[in-house]
Amino acid sequence: MIKMVTTRLASSTLTIFILVTMVFFMVHLTPGGPAYSILGQKATAASVANLNARLGLDQPLLKQYGIWWWHLAQGQLGYSYLLNRPVGQLLWQYELNTLVFYTVSIVVSTVLSILLGLVQGVYFGRWPAKIIGGLQLGFYALPAFFVAAMLVLWFSVDLPWLPASGITNLRLPSPTIASYAAHLVLPVTTITLLTVSSLSRYFGEAVHEELAKDYVRTARAKGVSFPAILFGHVLRNALRPLVTILGLSFPYIFTGGVIVESVFNYPGLGWLMWRSALSQDYPILIAIVLIIGILTVLGNLLADLVNGLLDPRASYE
Amino acid sequence: MAFSTRVPAMSEQIATAGGMAAAPFARWLGWISQRSTLVTGLVISGLILFIGFAAPFLYHVDPYAIHPAHALEAPSWAFPFGTDELGRDELALLLSGGFATLVVALPAAILAFVVGVTYGLASGLAPAWVDRLMMRLLDAVLALPSLIILIFFASLVTLNNTSLILLLGFISWPGLARLVRNETLAQRGRDFVLAAEQMGAGRVYVARVHLLRVMAPVLVVNGTFMVGDSVFALSALSFLGLGVQPPQVSWGSLLESALDIIALDPWWLILPPGLLVFGSLLAASLTGQGLLQRWGNNR
Amino acid sequence: MSAVLDIKNLSVSLPRGGRNVAILDGLNLTVKAGEMLALVGESGSGKTIASLSVMGLLPKKAKREGEIWLGETNLLTLQEPAMRRVRGRDVGMVFQNPLAALNPSRTVASQIQEAWLVHKGGSTRAARARALELLGEVGIPDPAKRLDDYPHQFSGGMRQRVMIAMALACSPKLLIADEPTTGLDPLIARQIMALIARLRRELDMGVLFVTHDLSVVEEHADAVHVLYAGKSVEWGAAKAFFDHPRHPYSEALLGSVARVGQARLQNIPGNLPEPETRPPGCRFAPRCAYHQPQCDAAYPPALRDGGTAAACLFPLPLTDRITYAETLEKPTGRNFASQLEVRDLQVRYAGNSGWFGGKTKLPPSLSEIAFSLGRGECLGVVGESGSGKSTLGRAVLQMIPYEGHVLLNGEDFSPLRGAAKRTQRRRIQVVFQDPRESMNPRIKIGDIIAEPLRLKRGISRAEERRQVETLLGRVGLNKEMAALLPGGVSGGQAQRIAIARALAAEPELIVLDEPTSSLDVSTQAMLLNLLKDLALEQALSYILISHDFAVVSYMADRIAVLNAGRIVEMNDTAKLIRAPQHSYTAALIGAAPQLHRL
Repeated sequence: MIKMVTTRLASSTLTIFILVTMVFFMVHLTPGGPAYSILGQKATAASVANLNARLGLDQPLLKQYGIWWWHLAQGQLGYSYLLNRPVGQLLWQYELNTLVFYTVSIVVSTVLSILLGLVQGVYFGRWPAKIIGGLQLGFYALPAFFVAAMLVLWFSVDLPWLPASGITNLRLPSPTIASYAAHLVLPVTTITLLTVSSLSRYFGEAVHEELAKDYVRTARAKGVSFPAILFGHVLRNALRPLVTILGLSFPYIFTGGVIVESVFNYPGLGWLMWRSALSQDYPILIAIVLIIGILTVLGNLLADLVNGLLDPRASYE
Repeated sequence: MAFSTRVPAMSEQIATAGGMAAAPFARWLGWISQRSTLVTGLVISGLILFIGFAAPFLYHVDPYAIHPAHALEAPSWAFPFGTDELGRDELALLLSGGFATLVVALPAAILAFVVGVTYGLASGLAPAWVDRLMMRLLDAVLALPSLIILIFFASLVTLNNTSLILLLGFISWPGLARLVRNETLAQRGRDFVLAAEQMGAGRVYVARVHLLRVMAPVLVVNGTFMVGDSVFALSALSFLGLGVQPPQVSWGSLLESALDIIALDPWWLILPPGLLVFGSLLAASLTGQGLLQRWGNNR
Repeated sequence: MSAVLDIKNLSVSLPRGGRNVAILDGLNLTVKAGEMLALVGESGSGKTIASLSVMGLLPKKAKREGEIWLGETNLLTLQEPAMRRVRGRDVGMVFQNPLAALNPSRTVASQIQEAWLVHKGGSTRAARARALELLGEVGIPDPAKRLDDYPHQFSGGMRQRVMIAMALACSPKLLIADEPTTGLDPLIARQIMALIARLRRELDMGVLFVTHDLSVVEEHADAVHVLYAGKSVEWGAAKAFFDHPRHPYSEALLGSVARVGQARLQNIPGNLPEPETRPPGCRFAPRCAYHQPQCDAAYPPALRDGGTAAACLFPLPLTDRITYAETLEKPTGRNFASQLEVRDLQVRYAGNSGWFGGKTKLPPSLSEIAFSLGRGECLGVVGESGSGKSTLGRAVLQMIPYEGHVLLNGEDFSPLRGAAKRTQRRRIQVVFQDPRESMNPRIKIGDIIAEPLRLKRGISRAEERRQVETLLGRVGLNKEMAALLPGGVSGGQAQRIAIARALAAEPELIVLDEPTSSLDVSTQAMLLNLLKDLALEQALSYILISHDFAVVSYMADRIAVLNAGRIVEMNDTAKLIRAPQHSYTAALIGAAPQLHRL
C-alpha cells in the first residue's frame, strides 16, 4: 500500500513537472515574447527591449526557467504587471471564493446523483429510469453558458428573486451569510444541473451492473431482503466508480466553473483566469495552470487512494 | 426527453394488445422506436448541418446591416428572429454564426479523431517502453481540463480559423488516444489476434484488419461525441471572447452579447443561439447513444 | 426416509418473442432426507430452471404451474415475504463460479454471518461463532485466521467450500447445488463432491445436485433424474441407472463421457431442439439411433420394469450390463521421425515493473522442460490449473519469450527474427479453448478461414474460395457457412472452423489448448474423432493440452504430466495408465472417469 502511494506521488510529481515545463516554454517561445503582449499597442522595438531587460526576459531561456523554479521554491509565484500585485496573493484571494463555490456544488451534486442513480439503477428499464435517463441526456447536452444565461433570465430578470452577479451584495454595510448564500444559489444550481446529469448516469449504470451480478443472486438465495442487498452489498461496490469519477471530475468542475464564474461575475479562480487570458497576463496564467495541474493530479491521487481503501482487491496489486 | 419515452411505450402497447398481430404499422413503429434515439439524433444532426451550411446561402440578408430604427425588436414578420441592439437581423446573424462555428468545429473534430486514433494505436502496439513514454506525454497534456488549456493557448496565439482548428484539434485528441490505446492493449492479447500472428501477420496487418474492426463501434461512438464537444468548446471560447473573433459572429459570441444586455430581457437573443449549441450537443449525444444501443456489446 | 422435496407436475414457461414458451414440462421428482438426487441434462434441458423454481429465483416474467412441496408447504403458494423466509433457512443453494457468487467487498465472515443473522437474528458474536464452526465443517484449514479474509484470497476450491458453508448456515433440510464443480480442477472437484456427500449423511440433508456431467455424480448419487428438452426421460435409483440405463438418451449420454483408456468415443448427432420447435412426440426421437415412426406420435408414457422408469416406447433391454467400448490398445514404442525438439525450456513471467523498469522476479512458470515430438505423433500434456501446461503451449508457439531451445525440423527458433521467424511460426498452428473468442466476431467465416492463405499471398480470389470450400468440407461443414459470422454458429461448429483455419496454414504441428473444454460432452466426441482422422490423413502432429485425463488418454500416443512447472512423468500412454510411476499421476488418473464403476 505504502509502495503504491509513493509510486503514485512520484509519478504525479513528474507529470506536473513536465506540464509546467511545457507551459513555461510555450509562453516564452511565443513570437515577441511576453513583453510584447504586455505592452500591446504601445510596443515598439525599443520599448520591448527595455521591458525585456527590466523583467529579466532577455536572459537565456534556461536561466529564466531556473530562476522561476527558484522563486517557486521560495513561495513566490511571480508578479502580475497588469494588476500590479504578486500572483500568489491574487491566487489566494480568488481561490478562497472558488473553494466555497465548488465545495457546495460538489456536495449537492453528489447527494443528488446518488439518489437519482439509485432510482435509475433499481428501476432500470421501467419508466422512472427512462425518464431519468432522458433528463440526463438532455441536461448533459446543455451548454454551461446557456444554462447560466437562462437561469439569470428567469430568476434575476423576470422574477427578481436572486442576484445575478458578484459574490455578495456590495451595498450592505457588512456582508451577511445570507447575502453570500443568495449569490451562490444560481451559480451552484448551474454547476449542479450539469454535473448531476453525468454523475448520476455513471452511478445509475454502476448500480444496475452490480444488481445483475452473481453475488446478488447468492444473497437472495440466503433470504436477504432487497433493501439489505442494495445497501449492504451493492452500494459499496457501486460507489467505487463514483469515487473515481469524482476524483477525476474534481478539476473538470473548474471548466464549467470558468464559464459560470464569467457569467455571474463571481470573483473566483476561473474568472481570474478568463480575465488574465484576455489581457495576456502571463505570470498569472502560468501560475493558474500550475495550480490546476496540481489539483488534477491530487484529485486523481485521492481517487486512487480512496479506491484502494474501498476495494480489498486493490491492495494486493 | 418526451420523444424517446413516448414512442417505445406506444409500440409496446400495440405489440401486447392483440398478441402480436403483425400489423405493418406496428412493426414499423417498433423498428423506429428501437432506434428512436439514433433516429432523433440523426434528424437533429441533419437540421443543424442544414442550418449551418445550407441555410446561410438561402437566406439572403446581410447579417451586418444595421437598422438603428429597429434596434432590439422582438420577432416579427420583418425580422423573423428579432433584432439585436444594433438593429441587425438576428436570423441572419444566427445563420452566419452557425456557418462560422461549424466550419471550425467539424474539421477540428476530424483532425482530433485522426490524430487520436493513430497515436492510440501506435502506442498500444509499440514495445512497452515506447508505450510508457507516449502515455506519460499524454498524461501531462491530460492533466488539465481541456477548456483551461484552450483558454491558455488562445491567449497566446492570433486567433483565426486555421489556428482555431489546430487548437481545438490539439486539445481533444489525447482523450481519444488514451481510450484507443487502452482498447488496443486489451484487444491485442485476444485469441484471434494471437492466431493471426501465428499465421504470420505483422503489427500493421493486425491493426488494420482486426483491431480497427473490433474497435469500430467504440471509435464511431466516441467520434460523434467529439463532434459535439468540438462545437461546445468553440462556442465556449467564443463566449469568453477567445474564439471566433469580431466582426465575425458565432453562436457563442451572440450569446455573450445578449448576456451583456440581459437586464433588458432579450429572450429572443438568448434562446436561439443557446438552443442551437444545445441542439448540436444533443444531436451528437443522441447519435452516439443510439449507435451504442444498436451495436451493443457484441465484441 | 421422508421426502424433503416433492415436486409435482412442475411446468415453467417464459415469454419469448411475444409468446409464452414452456421451458420445463411436467417435472415430477422427489428428494429424500440424507439422499443425493442428480438432476442431469445438457445446457438448455431445463435443469437450472427447475432448481431456480424451487428457490423462487426466476425472473418475474416466468410462470410456474404445479406444486413444489418442501416438507408440509407448497412453495408455489407462498408470497415473496414468506418465500424469503424459506430461502436460506429451509433450503440452501450453492452456485457455479464461486468467485462471482461472493461479494468481493465483504469478508467471508460477514457473508456467512449474514446467512445466519437474516433468519436467526441475535448477536453478531453468536453469528461469528457459527461462521467459524461452519468453516471448520467444510474443511477450511486454519478457519479462525481466514474468517476475515476476502473471497479473492481463497483458491477456487476453497471458495466453493465457503459457499457451501454459507448455504448450510441455518442447517437447511435441502441443499440445491447447481453445477458446483464445473470449472474446478478434477482433483478439487472430487474433494468438493466428497464433501457434499459426507455432509448429506452427517446432516441428514437432502441434496438436489444439478449437473450436465454424469461422470461427476457416478460415485455419490443415490438417485438420478435425466432431463431432455424440458421433459423427464429417465429417473430412478442410481445403481440401476448406471448399470442398466433404459432410455437411449441416457445410454448416449453415458457413452459420450470420455473415460480413461476408452477405445471409441460416442457422439450424439444433431442438436438440442429450441423450446419453440420441439417435436410433438418423443423429443429425443430425431437424434435417436433406435427411432421408430411411433415415437413421433405422442410423448411416451413412463415404463418401469427395472430399477428405473424411462419415457420411451422401446427402452433398452435389461439383459446386458452396459459396457463401454473396449479398452483401447495403444501401441507402445512406435517410431516417429523426429520433428519437434524442446530443450531446457524455462519461462519466467516478469513481475510488476518497479519504478525504473526493474522487474521483480517471480518463480518460473516452467523449468527444465525437455521433450521431443515425432511426425504424426500426438503428445498429451496434462496438469491442473497453474501447472504451466498452457504456458508450455505458448512457448512452443513462440507467443511468449522463453529461455532454452525449441527446434522444428532441426531449426532453432531463438536466433530467428522478423520475416524468417514468421515463416517458421506458420508451421506450428494453434486451436484455442474458446472457439468464439479465437475468431474476430466481425469477420465472416469464409474470410477467417482464408486469412492464412491471404497472409501467404500469391493466391487468386477464386483459388482462395475453392480452398476454403475444401477446408470446410474436410471438417464436416457445408460451404454455405462461409457467409456467416461467428456469432451465428454453435460452439462445436466454431471449433471446427478454428481447425479449418489452422489447416489452411498447412502446418506440420498443431498445438491444441483445451480444445474441448468449452464444449458440451456430446460435441466433444465429434471433435476428437475429427482430429484423429485429420492426423491420419496428413501425418499431422499434435500437442494436446488438457486437464481432462480421459480425453488425453484417448488421443495421445505419449503423455507428459505437468505439476508446478515441471514434467513429473512422461511415458507412452498405455504404459502410463497401467503403471503410473508418480503419485501425482496416479491421483490424476484416479480423478478421471473410469471404465468400470467402482
